Amino acid sequence: MNVEETKARASPREFSPKDDLPEEYRKAATRMLEFHANSEIMGAYLERPFIRKAPSLERKMAFSAKVQDEIGHGQLLYRAAESLGVKTRDEMLDDLAEGKGKFLNCFHYPLESWVETPMIAFFVDGAAMRRQATLKKSSWEPYAHAMDKICFEEGFHVKHGESILGELMNGSKKEQEMTQEAFDKWWPRILQFFGPTDDQSSHHDFAADVGLKVMTNDELRNAFLNTYLPKAKKYGLEIPDEPRIRENDDGTYDVVEDDLDWDEFFTIAKNDYEPGVGQIEGRKHAQDAVEWVRNALDEQEAIAAGGQSPQAAD
Amino acid sequence: MIWEVFRQNQAGDYHTHCGNVHAPDREMALLFAEVQHGRRKPTNSLWVVPQEEIGEVDTEDAKFGGTTNKSYRFARTYNVEPAAEEVEASEKELTEAERKRGEA
Repeated sequence: MNVEETKARASPREFSPKDDLPEEYRKAATRMLEFHANSEIMGAYLERPFIRKAPSLERKMAFSAKVQDEIGHGQLLYRAAESLGVKTRDEMLDDLAEGKGKFLNCFHYPLESWVETPMIAFFVDGAAMRRQATLKKSSWEPYAHAMDKICFEEGFHVKHGESILGELMNGSKKEQEMTQEAFDKWWPRILQFFGPTDDQSSHHDFAADVGLKVMTNDELRNAFLNTYLPKAKKYGLEIPDEPRIRENDDGTYDVVEDDLDWDEFFTIAKNDYEPGVGQIEGRKHAQDAVEWVRNALDEQEAIAAGGQSPQAAD
Repeated sequence: MIWEVFRQNQAGDYHTHCGNVHAPDREMALLFAEVQHGRRKPTNSLWVVPQEEIGEVDTEDAKFGGTTNKSYRFARTYNVEPAAEEVEASEKELTEAERKRGEA
């Protein structure tokens, strides 16, 4: 199949590993999936400390389940990515450890205080789920299949995050103030979750033409704001004056792009933002620490495949 | 090595394909399948099958059900006295299957 044939056939769940797809498609799909998979992993590492820091047993158990889910989502997505034949799972995981793998802007920032957890667990996950729901219609069938399972599990994450936000905003004055402060800090990053406006986005056209994604950055940002802006207000959060958000008569929103820090965004996109670099390093250490497990599994696979067990020369 | 995973919701149901896992051997594949696919949805049993062991034939290679009119083998072709309950149920299933074939 060439690119034109691929574009002509593009529709939800149209292409699978059986199809002979052009390199352009396979590379674009790999880039999307690898980014998505990396984000699941890096998000999980960010939330993991809150299994320990959460203030109640219920919250600890929920965070533990959530982190386990996110790692599983990463694995599902790496599977969907490697079936494109461009990169193996090991290559993608190594690239992530070496700082070459890209992931979501929000996961480059440190997550330090409990009041910050709903910023990710409610707003970022809510934004992610809005996007992921549309990807059930992706033309790469393994991607759509992964989305079925991921969205099934993600509903709990977003509602759990909303429950924490509700609890904090109904708490003491101090808790409310701290939560508002966290919101002020995270809100611009959350708005940048959907990337630059459509006219600035470099990858959209091709990915949309071949059905990999079905909604533009602007459409997704609007859909997110339509639901989550009223929710934020309902819990008593004040929306910061900047970045300015204009509500249009047709229910859509315009975010004033110049009010957002795009230098920081693109520094993050290059994996050069300092806290993010530390978080990449942190994950690399964790990956190195369990290298012996992966080696043991590889050895076992060689034996199961009928090979010889390596000599214990070391 | 990649293993395809099939999940059975409850005893008596069919095992339905639900995804796949990386694993070095069958034992680990079952463990990973349990963690990834048997954790949230109701699960009575899981199967794992090495991906390369699965054979497939699809609409590119086969004309499933043939290409000629086969209405003679469908219950609704035959207009007779009202059918017994279980015969009617069978006819419904056949009609539904034929309708879905038409959609595909």
